[in-house]
Amino acid sequence: MPEAIEIQLKKGALELCVLALLSQHESYAYEIASKLSDSIGMGEGTIYPLMRRLQNERLVDTHLVESSAGPSRKYYRLTEAGKASFISQKAAWASFSGAVQGILGGVK
Amino acid sequence: MTRQAFMTRLREGLAGLPSQTVADIVADYETHFADAAAAGRDEADVASALGDPSRLARELRAEAGLKAWEENRNPSGAAAAVFAVLGLGAIDILILLPILMGVGGMIFGFGMAAIGVFIAGGAVFAIGPFTGIGGGPAVAVLAGIGLMAGAASLGAIVTICTIGLVNALVWYGRLHYRLLRPALEPQTVGVAR
Repeated sequence: MPEAIEIQLKKGALELCVLALLSQHESYAYEIASKLSDSIGMGEGTIYPLMRRLQNERLVDTHLVESSAGPSRKYYRLTEAGKASFISQKAAWASFSGAVQGILGGVK
Repeated sequence: MTRQAFMTRLREGLAGLPSQTVADIVADYETHFADAAAAGRDEADVASALGDPSRLARELRAEAGLKAWEENRNPSGAAAAVFAVLGLGAIDILILLPILMGVGGMIFGFGMAAIGVFIAGGAVFAIGPFTGIGGGPAVAVLAGIGLMAGAASLGAIVTICTIGLVNALVWYGRLHYRLLRPALEPQTVGVAR
């Protein structure tokens, strides 16, 4: 059971985490994948389909940046719709997690 | 698994998708391996962290088929969706197949019946007034129109049932994603939707 709830929690939080990372600075997929898998233990392979979906929904767009070593790199950044979506998802998360915390805190 | 083996199996699994899509997906994973190597990680570790490439490819291909249906709700989109779900190769979907074929056959039969009745109605409408059978030209014309209208409503019902069936299949197919599931389930909160 604990495993099941953990997967559900990660699933719900993944898109929010990606939007949060990108709201700080634009980034490339490997950096996003390694940061997320370090801190929330998400499979790295899931990041690519997720980025493709966010791109299809026009929440992020991409541009190529010349790299000092090797070929140029695809960077992702938030669009205006992406920023708006991040703000509303963040607010929803804060109120939800606050409510859950309030209930958990009351249980000894 | 080596990078080479991972990429080969991914490519094999993606065969049949538009070449631009395959190129984009392959490029993403190639870059991933290159970046991981630059970070000093072992190829085999990176490959296992990414998951089974054949499974990944099957799910990516299924998703492309299901999207084709959601973007174009026409017969070829429906066929793409059905093949996409079958392509997942999940055992319970294969068990479901005979039932699915029964229901599909029934819908096909009703569809054909609708077309047949429509043509018959057209014939009664066009030829009936000149044959002198029954209560005269007006009755034949009205009977013809009635048959065609009935056939059109049957056709509409069949279409609605087909769309519902394919939608249910798409929903059921997506339940079988293992690797893609966290990435493809959209959040319900958001302003852009």
